[in-house]
Amino acid sequence: MRAPIERRPPYGLAIWCAVTLLLALLVYATPARLTRSTDLMPLLPLITLFIWSTIRPYFIPPIVIFIVGLLQDLLTGGPMGIWAFAYLLSLTIMRVRKEDATTRDMGPLWFRFVATIAIAVVFAWIAGSLANSSPAPIQPMAIEAAASILMFPLIALISVRKRSSRGAFG
Amino acid sequence: MALRRPGRREQDDGVRFSRTLTLTLFIIAALLIAFDRPDARPGAFIAFRSAVSDTAAPLLDLTARPLRGIGNIGPYWQRQHELAVENAELQEQLTETRYWRDLALRLRDERDIYREALNLTPASEQERIGAWVLADPTGPFVRSRLVGAGAVRGVGEGDPVLNVYGLVGHVVEVGQRSSRVLLLTDLNSRVPVMADRSNARAVLTGDNTNFPRLDYLGRDADLQEGDRIVTSGDDGILPRGLPVGTAALDRNGRWRVRLFSDNAPVDFVWVLPYDRLPTPEEAPASLPEAPDAEPVGVNAEPAAATDDTGTIAIAEDGE
Repeated sequence: MRAPIERRPPYGLAIWCAVTLLLALLVYATPARLTRSTDLMPLLPLITLFIWSTIRPYFIPPIVIFIVGLLQDLLTGGPMGIWAFAYLLSLTIMRVRKEDATTRDMGPLWFRFVATIAIAVVFAWIAGSLANSSPAPIQPMAIEAAASILMFPLIALISVRKRSSRGAFG
Repeated sequence: MALRRPGRREQDDGVRFSRTLTLTLFIIAALLIAFDRPDARPGAFIAFRSAVSDTAAPLLDLTARPLRGIGNIGPYWQRQHELAVENAELQEQLTETRYWRDLALRLRDERDIYREALNLTPASEQERIGAWVLADPTGPFVRSRLVGAGAVRGVGEGDPVLNVYGLVGHVVEVGQRSSRVLLLTDLNSRVPVMADRSNARAVLTGDNTNFPRLDYLGRDADLQEGDRIVTSGDDGILPRGLPVGTAALDRNGRWRVRLFSDNAPVDFVWVLPYDRLPTPEEAPASLPEAPDAEPVGVNAEPAAATDDTGTIAIAEDGE
């Protein structure tokens, strides 16, 4: 006899979570220059981690955050550990531990994301400057953070709508 | 993803993960930051990074293909305008190039004659290796490219990388099927260069802006706005004469370089395998043992090994 749909372990969703994280990393590292003068690329791995940690907090344990951050460091050719530490720090501080109605409201969700990315970017800037023994330029980080903040509502809306359209995921 | 793991507890106040594990991961990340420094990276880290790049290369290539297509579409009218302008520029350049081609051919003939007369050994002229750029990360800490050619195709560490217009950077990590290229604009990039017109020497220093600085330029260096900058080959790592860009003064009166390679997106590049000259310490000459009773005088014949070494040195210097 089949178990009720609510009690089945959501393996399919877990695989989908892994796929989206991998895609976010690959697209972030892939040549996708939108204009010739600006290298604009939102921090897709952080957006994806944040959304999943809101939708399904237990899908995103610290080890997953660490691995995603480390892979981002490796794929972008930067010193290892910077984004791993920054993501761990920001998501540990700002993560949702329990789902409730407020996590679905775009306003508070967006505000929490802004705080998360601010912590991540500030720490990454400090760590990157220490690793390179000279202050890292602020402009590229500001552009990435701004692009991420602007793109977040779009991705979050799609994710939340998809989630609410499937009873088993809610 | 962690579904039902011992490291997680679900309580009334929600999901909580093991603090010990979190703390351990923080410590590992901090240690990685401390030890994975771009200027003094341990060999094990380099090997690990190359292995990850090799593994990710096919996936990045797959992801890049559709994105390359999207990037090339653009608004139709804008493309048409760009094509018209580019066409006019190319026709102008073609006319100019005909003159330079004739000159190059004539100089090549002259060079061959001189080589033959001086018995010079030409440097090995290897084929350039074409490769697509697989990853294009441009972040605050590093400006590099991951290209789809590695040791299997003959890419070596330090090899210069060019696009259709000029030098892009040099290879810093080599995997089996992929390599990482450090761009000239990267914070850690230092390339000896010179002005084509006056031979004024400088070091091209990246600072993560699009216009790298010219450092260590003499106070009275003969440099003018628009001077063509090429590699000087002084470090023995990059060959001499690779086109880099043009000299330009910034607002603060500091010399910078407008890179030729910026004239086009760096999506397809050529790696030039280059055999660096070994230093005397790396390849010491084996001196012949001095005979006991050899007369040393004007008419004495020099040792054969000295002859050989001298010839090679002259030949390579000539290049």
